[in-house]
Amino acid sequence: MTELTLSQALLLIIWGVLVAVDLVSVPQAMICRPLVAGTVAGWIAGDVEAGLRVGVLFELFALDVLPIGAVRYPDYGPATVAAAALSAGAPWELGLGVSGALGLVLAVLGDWSLQLVRRINARAIQHHAAALAAGEGPAIRRLQYSGLARDAARGAALTTLGLLAGWLLANSLRIDRATALGLTLVCVGSALSAAVTGAIRSAGRDARLRWLLGGAVVGLILAVLR
Amino acid sequence: MNGSWRALLRLFAVQGTWNYERMLGVGMGYAAEPLLEDLKTVDPVRHSEAVVRSTDFFNCHPNLAGLALGAIARAEYDAMPGQQIVRLRTALCSPLGSLGDQLFWAGLVPGLSGLALAAVVLGAGWWAIAGYLLAYNLVRLGTARWALKTGLDTGMQVGAAIGRSWVTRWIPRIGVAAGFAVGLAVPLVAAWSLEGIGTVGAVGTLAVAATGVVVTRWFGPALTVIRFALLAMVLLLVFRWIGL
Repeated sequence: MTELTLSQALLLIIWGVLVAVDLVSVPQAMICRPLVAGTVAGWIAGDVEAGLRVGVLFELFALDVLPIGAVRYPDYGPATVAAAALSAGAPWELGLGVSGALGLVLAVLGDWSLQLVRRINARAIQHHAAALAAGEGPAIRRLQYSGLARDAARGAALTTLGLLAGWLLANSLRIDRATALGLTLVCVGSALSAAVTGAIRSAGRDARLRWLLGGAVVGLILAVLR
Repeated sequence: MNGSWRALLRLFAVQGTWNYERMLGVGMGYAAEPLLEDLKTVDPVRHSEAVVRSTDFFNCHPNLAGLALGAIARAEYDAMPGQQIVRLRTALCSPLGSLGDQLFWAGLVPGLSGLALAAVVLGAGWWAIAGYLLAYNLVRLGTARWALKTGLDTGMQVGAAIGRSWVTRWIPRIGVAAGFAVGLAVPLVAAWSLEGIGTVGAVGTLAVAATGVVVTRWFGPALTVIRFALLAMVLLLVFRWIGL
């Protein structure tokens, strides 16, 4: 991890808040996608290439997520921001594994924090039940804005925690080159398995499966020709 | 009916108070507020009832919520019986959820992700990111505007309007395109990620990937991909610690 200046750290936290609220609350413009969140975080931290690598890694993990109905899912946004900051300045093959591990733990915490916000939202609604039953507009607006504020606070807390954990890891973790490389390879392998699992599950057994296989063949040919 | 632009803007925050009790309910009430304003002067009692109904339980895909919002607002202005409006609201939950999930979460988003990943590997860099955001948000904005307008125009007939719409026709097309895009991206990203790693490292990574696919499918929700990844990393650290 390169030493972040105070303004870089603040910008990363602001970016973490934006990607956290984008996941569910507002505006769902897909800046929360790891590829976007990671690349911008890498740019803020001064290493676009590292951010792009982390973004690609977590984008593969995110392809396993199908956020339908009320299903629980990891929040890869702030996780990717913190992981990209940790990865900045290090050779990608040595930094990606440790950053990936930090990001995965944060993504799980993100899932847990989303549930917490949803439970607090429900309690706030119960608290304002009488006002809602009376059709009071100000109560609706208050509930809406406080829900958004809670989600923003969640994003700020997650990103700050991630940056602090990244700073601690960068300054205290001592692992040899082979172990760091091994962690990267395990992380990349797991991310590929996530993308394949997600793709197969979404494909079913119909035309989409055939197109998935067709795409894989074209991808293989392009990969060889590159 | 005024306030449709404000309602459209508010629809982008329709999940701002998402919870397991009313789900999108309060967000729908928030978005409905500008649409129902005119009703306050025409029929204050009806307006009050409409606002109460607008915050009740509701769930659907956020990008198609405008269909329900517009249809319900239209029905309130058409003075349809309250029970009928509640039934319409309930009836729209599942179809709008299912259509939106197929169109966006299982179609457009993974499809654009796959294309963006492939483009990054092929050297597009920032252009891939910009293209991803631009393409998604153009579709998203267009859909949101169309949804609200269709709901407002059709009212209680919104079900038939959805059945005739482009949404049902485009879902299978976007689905196969998404399948192709993700299929295209995976080998490209794998090759890109393993460049310069060496044969042993590459074989090891692909072995981890294959094991991950098999065991996460075998164990189902008990072993998510994240748990598998963290477990594999802990195992690696243990093996390295004991000198393997």
